[in-house]
Amino acid sequence: MPGRVRKRSPLKAPERPYIALGLEGSANKLGAGIIKHSPDGSTEVLSNVRHTYITPPGEGFLPRDTAQHHREWALTVIKDAFAKAGVSLHDIDCICYTKGPGMGAPLTSVALVARILSLLYNKPLVGVNHCVGHIEMGRQVTGAQNPVVLYVSGGNTQVIAYSQQCYRIFGETLDIAVGNCLDRFARVINLSNDPSPGYNIEQEAKKGKRLLSLPYTTKGMDISLSGILTSTEAYTLDKRFRPHGPSAEDSEDADIITPQDLCFSLQETVFAMLVEITERAMAHIGSKEVLMVGGVGCNERLQEMMGVMARERGGNVFATDERFCIDNGIMIAQAGLLSFRMGFETPLTKSTCTQRFRTDQVHVAWRA
Amino acid sequence: IRTMRIPFASHKHANIAKQVIEVDRELQPDVVKRTLAVEGNELIATFTTLTVRLARLTSNAFLENVDLVVRTIGEFGEDAERAREPCTS
Repeated sequence: MPGRVRKRSPLKAPERPYIALGLEGSANKLGAGIIKHSPDGSTEVLSNVRHTYITPPGEGFLPRDTAQHHREWALTVIKDAFAKAGVSLHDIDCICYTKGPGMGAPLTSVALVARILSLLYNKPLVGVNHCVGHIEMGRQVTGAQNPVVLYVSGGNTQVIAYSQQCYRIFGETLDIAVGNCLDRFARVINLSNDPSPGYNIEQEAKKGKRLLSLPYTTKGMDISLSGILTSTEAYTLDKRFRPHGPSAEDSEDADIITPQDLCFSLQETVFAMLVEITERAMAHIGSKEVLMVGGVGCNERLQEMMGVMARERGGNVFATDERFCIDNGIMIAQAGLLSFRMGFETPLTKSTCTQRFRTDQVHVAWRA
Repeated sequence: IRTMRIPFASHKHANIAKQVIEVDRELQPDVVKRTLAVEGNELIATFTTLTVRLARLTSNAFLENVDLVVRTIGEFGEDAERAREPCTS
């Protein structure tokens, strides 16, 4: 049987080091990262600075306030990134920013800063797709060759596989994203948003004891989450619900529901659905690797469940830690520098932002 | 109709501000018309809106952006100029 021909990557090793600045601000995290591609083919993270806009418990973040947060912190975060990297704005080759998808006002605030720096220092701009940024950083950090990518965050939930210079979306959420579902439930039970609502749900879920029945909604290769959210919220209105845990009158095994039980049930159900659609995609393309990116990819329970599924299929799971899972500037720099090296650039007049930017709209020129 | 004149440190900076802000379309282009121009060191923005409320909203957003531009130029402008001089080869 002839060996599989490995197609030569169109991206040649650079003849000199390339350095790029990446700016990210599509949601409530403002990130600036500086990355370096060296002639020996290695990639180095020079700095990765992030500041998160955290709202009080029970509140989500709105575009206007988030944009204001980004405007306030942009300059500090960028200067910090350069200080940590030990390079200056004169040394970089391009300025990469998140073109989309995401929230309009925050995206534009960050793009504005990118444009100013581009004009001041005469550096080209590169508009980057946020999802592709996650994927490229995940590939870079974990070294996964051609995995099925599960991109799960507060704003996006997609199962992606690469084929012929395009990241094709195999399955996705039909309504809201996984992270959005978890965050909104965290608001209902008034969990703190610090460091992130998803992290706090994960911790509470560890203390849950009951698995309550929630609708399991996979639709072919896709999933739907708004129904589950409504059901979980409905449980909080149930008379068995005890917002502060078992009260003095409840006996040891009384029929009560605690917020921890709800967190646990929600996580188990939703994660099982994610594992199922990922498995479908793996079976479809015959892949043995899973790469998890996006904020929810940090969740250790999800990583555990995915690991069990992957091992049963003889494969493995790749995941990154919170520096790269959660929105950050370095992933934008990485994806941006890859496209810049293939000759892609965004002219100033076209350096707008767009709230809807599909992952499969990007021409992935740097892969075979 | 509202006209605002924003002074900058130099003609170049005013031009940078104009180029950077004019990339984004107004959110409601059919009810708000915006023109940006540069005269000397000043950026001149003229807004034509149907209602006073729209004028207030657009001016607010514009000024927030101008503030960001001014602060960024203030923070990085000098450094950008400084290292440009040695390049005389």
